[in-house]
Formats: sequence, C-alpha cells, structure tokens
Amino acid sequence: MTEQHYPRLSGEWMTPRRRFLSALYGGRVDKVPAMTLSSVITLEAMEIADAEFPEAHLDAEKMARLAATAHENLGLDTVMPVFHSQLEADALDASTWWGTKDNWPAVDDHVLTDPEDFKVPSDYLERRSFKAALGAIRLLRKRYPDVGIVGKVYGAWSVGFHMVGIENFLMDTILDPDKIRRYLEVLLPASMMSAHAQLEAGADAIMWCDHANRELVSPDMYRDFLLEMHQQIQAEVGGPSILHCCGETTDRIDYFAEAGWDCFHFESQVDPIKAKEIAGDRMSLFGNINNPTVLFSGTYDDCYEACMTVLNAGVQGVAPEGSVPLGTKMEVLAALADSARDYSNAHRPDGRFVVHDLPPAGGDDGSGQ
Amino acid sequence: MAQLSGIANETIRAEIEEFLERPEEIERNVELFNRASPAMQDIAAALIEGDNDTVDRLTAAALADGVPALEIMDDGLIAGMGIVGIKFREGFVFVPEVLVSARAMKAGMAHIEPILAASGVEPIGTVIMGTVQGDLHDIGKNLCIMMLRGGGFTVIDLGVNTSPDEFLAAVKDSEARLIGMSALLTTTMPNMAKTVEAFKDAGLREQVRFMVGGAPVTPEFGEEVGSDGYGKDALACVALAKQLALEVRR
Repeated sequence: MTEQHYPRLSGEWMTPRRRFLSALYGGRVDKVPAMTLSSVITLEAMEIADAEFPEAHLDAEKMARLAATAHENLGLDTVMPVFHSQLEADALDASTWWGTKDNWPAVDDHVLTDPEDFKVPSDYLERRSFKAALGAIRLLRKRYPDVGIVGKVYGAWSVGFHMVGIENFLMDTILDPDKIRRYLEVLLPASMMSAHAQLEAGADAIMWCDHANRELVSPDMYRDFLLEMHQQIQAEVGGPSILHCCGETTDRIDYFAEAGWDCFHFESQVDPIKAKEIAGDRMSLFGNINNPTVLFSGTYDDCYEACMTVLNAGVQGVAPEGSVPLGTKMEVLAALADSARDYSNAHRPDGRFVVHDLPPAGGDDGSGQ
Repeated sequence: MAQLSGIANETIRAEIEEFLERPEEIERNVELFNRASPAMQDIAAALIEGDNDTVDRLTAAALADGVPALEIMDDGLIAGMGIVGIKFREGFVFVPEVLVSARAMKAGMAHIEPILAASGVEPIGTVIMGTVQGDLHDIGKNLCIMMLRGGGFTVIDLGVNTSPDEFLAAVKDSEARLIGMSALLTTTMPNMAKTVEAFKDAGLREQVRFMVGGAPVTPEFGEEVGSDGYGKDALACVALAKQLALEVRR
C-alpha cells in the first residue's frame, strides 16, 4: 500500500552519499549502506583501474581511479582513497617504505625521541603524501558527487607509534606518562590539520584511527590518555567523525561513546550484538566483516552470511573490519553490497526506510529479559 | 606440599594470591618459589615490577656470590616472567607492562647469556623467527624470542618484513628446523601461507615445523595456512616450540 503512495520513493532512492551520512548519524536509510572505510583495494582492482601499488599511494589520479573501484566495481556506497596509514607520518619525516604491488607500505624508522623536538613542518600539507591524498579526494568529489567519500586520519596516539616507535611509546605510558601526554599534545595538531584538509578537499567524513585496543592497552589507559583528547576532537574536527580502533574493543566501547564519536568502525573480534548493546543510540556502528577467514579465505556465501549476521545485530552499516588483504577476491567482496541490498529489501516495511529487527535484550542468552 | 607462606618475598606471595587462578599454575609456582632462594625471589619480584635497574644489580650480585647462571635464569628471570605472562594472558596487565618487565629481563639476561654461551650448554633446539613480508611489527615476536631464549632455545631472528626466500635461506644456512612466523596485520597474514608454500616448492616442508602467531592470527587460520601450530602468546610459543622440537629433534 505504501508503495502506491510513494512509488517514486520505493526501493533505493537515497544517493549513496546521503545514505552513508544518514547511517553514520544513526538516521533513517532507504538501504543499509555497504561501505569501505579502510581499504578494499585488491590486486584485481589494481588491474581494473590500471593503477598499482606503490605508485597509487603518491599519485592523485591513480589513487582516485583505484579508490573508485569500491563504488564502480563493488557497488559500495563509499570510496576511501587513503589506502595506507602513512599519510601524516610521512609528511612528518618518518622514514616510509612504500611497499610493492602486493605489499603494504610501512614506517620503517622512527625519528622522535623527545616531544619538545617536534614541530609540524610549515609545508606539511604540501608534502607528497598529502598532495596525492588531497588531490585524489578532490578528483573523487568532482567525479562522484553522490558517493560518500571517507577521509582517513591517524590520531596523535597512532602517529606517536609511527614517530616514536610503538615499543618505546607503549613503555613510556608506564615509565613516563607525562612524556606520552606531551607527545599527544604536540602531535594532535598534525592529525587535526590532516582532518581539516581532507574535509576541505571534499571528504564527507573522517575516519580517525587511534589504536588503543585490548591487544595493546587496558581500557583505563584509553580513559586516562585519550578520552579527553577525543572529546576535544569532536568539538574541533568540523565534520562527521568515525573512530577506528583495531582488535578487541568491547571493554572500551562505552568510553568511545562517551568521547562523542558519531560512529565506531569495529573489528570482528567484537560481538556486534554486544557492541550494539553498549553503544545504544549514542553512537552508530559500522563493521565488522572478518578479513583473513571470511574475506580472504572464504567464499561469496561466507561473506554474505557474515554480513547478514552483523546486519541482524542492528549495526548501521556493513564494511570489512579493516584494510582487506590484497589477494582478496572481488567476487567475495561483492557480497557486501548484495547482502545490504537483500537485508534492506526484507526490512523495509513501509517501502521507504529500513527498520532493523533488533535482537532481544541480553543478546541470545535466552534469559528472557 | 609447598605452601604459599613458605615463600619469603612478599611481592611474589601477593602476585600468586591475587593473579593466579588455575590450580595447576598456583601449585607449580608455589612449588617453584618455595624452592627458589630468597635472592632469586627478589630478582623475580623486581622483574614483575619492571624494575630493570634492580634486576641488573641483583643478577650481577648473585653471580658474584657464586649462584649458577642457569639457576638465576630459571628461578629468577624466567620464573618472574612466567607470572607476567600469566597476568598478560588473563588480562590483568597489557603490552606496556609486559614490555617493561621484558626490559628488566633483558637487563638480567645480559649478564647470563655470555656465561651460558661459554659453558657449552646444549640448546633444546634452534628456532628461526621472523615477522612476515610486508609487516614491520615485532613486539610480539621479540617477546617470543626472549622467552624462547630463556626457555633454552637458540633463536635466529630474521627481524621484520621477512620474505619466504629469507626464511628458506635461513633454514638452508642453519640446522634449524623450527620456524616462527608473526603478523600483526590482517593484510599481511596471507604471507604466512606464501612462506609455507615456498617450503613446499623447495621440497623442504617435511623437514621443518611452522609456528604462527600475532594478534589477528587464530588457530583456525594457522591450520588453514598449513602451519604446525599456533601460539596465542609468548608462553604458548615456548610450550609449542618444545613440543615441535621433539618432532624434529633440532
């Protein structure tokens, strides 16, 4: 009946960009978005776009062409051109190994031992990594006005790993916590400048990566070192914000929500039902399809099933948990968009907006609450 | 039967009481520290607290007092690190605390290793360790190496970003038959499979045993890539290495 009332609006009527942004804020959507937030670039995608690693990391045109395969070839609602994690560190003079066609770049030497020695270079945003990334975002904005563009920023904590070395950085959280606080203080402007520049270039939202996961540090450490800083970021970033934190994070999701992130992009170690229970309506959730087992080693059906599980948990959008291995097959990744479409078709009672069938309170423990 | 009250060092007693939950681990540690001299208990306690200066000083003093290097390593350094490992596994401490204790262990081992090397003690086996190609993360690998050395293994550390060819060359150049591969990134985990494949192609797969580990690695993934075992942490890595060493005898 409603379809007769709103024939023009039945099915998928939002643009991917609008859908992505609405879901990010926990709003109504015509279809649950299927997204790339980290990279979905594969060796196959490089062939299709005629743009390969490592050249595509530092060439705006190649980067844009390669990023566009997420939408053009996988049907995703977003594109994300900052494939690597070296954007800020490289421009801050950390030594970068740009990898090969089938290997990811990495910071291979750490340059900072004292926070007082650090200064953001005056030409920071004109350096090669930014030139490519900001150029690619501008090209994508021009070519895909209706597709969501995700910018990616490494926060002061994770840039600290790159600049200081993760081992030294983490040890000093115990041995010299004031030094770590000072590192965070001096590095934050570099991350903030990166976020502002990407938003100005045309990114719709910023995915902010600060890796304070359970495999590394306690939830108390997130609270003590990052919570306040992350609250400050919300006030100053100037655009929609998605936090990405790798690994197991269940015990700190409450802090992430308290920090005020609009959305949390979480990994497969986190139970989506539990995550949803904790986040509630305070923060949207995007995630969390497992990379190694489901996307890299699995089949289309495995991916489809994993997506349905996470969608049935009530998360606002489906995406790989992190950057997918380069050997991942695109035919497997295709299940991301297909599952989001099928789920939405089955959960659009009024013909317009998706309504999640949320799991019973207390998850599947049968407690009957 | 050894009692907790028989342990002289207050810190060790408190650590066992507060953080050890599995009965067999409580029993083993109570027995171990009852056997250990008060000086060894002090070394273990300082290591647990991450006090590298004290570990350095106490280790040197114990050696000067004529305590055998092997006893200091087993009853002081490894015993202390064993408690840290359990606390890490159970989520009572995290990587920073483990790193600080590892630093203290290193300070003690700096005195011990040259003595053990000169004494001609036969290692349990030789392990080649490396972070796989494309991955520059080595905290977990380095912790494993430290515990393997402490556990009586000789370790050849290939560092980070290790290609299948480099693993192959290391096996050909040494008598090592145990290989440990680490990865922190889901993007680089597939390179574990590539390394195993390279050994198959070179006709060397049957001669070696592969161990895998790293934050995103799972036992299932380890099986999938054709490894012989998965270690969740450094303690598990040593236990696995001991088991696999029996299979390859080198």
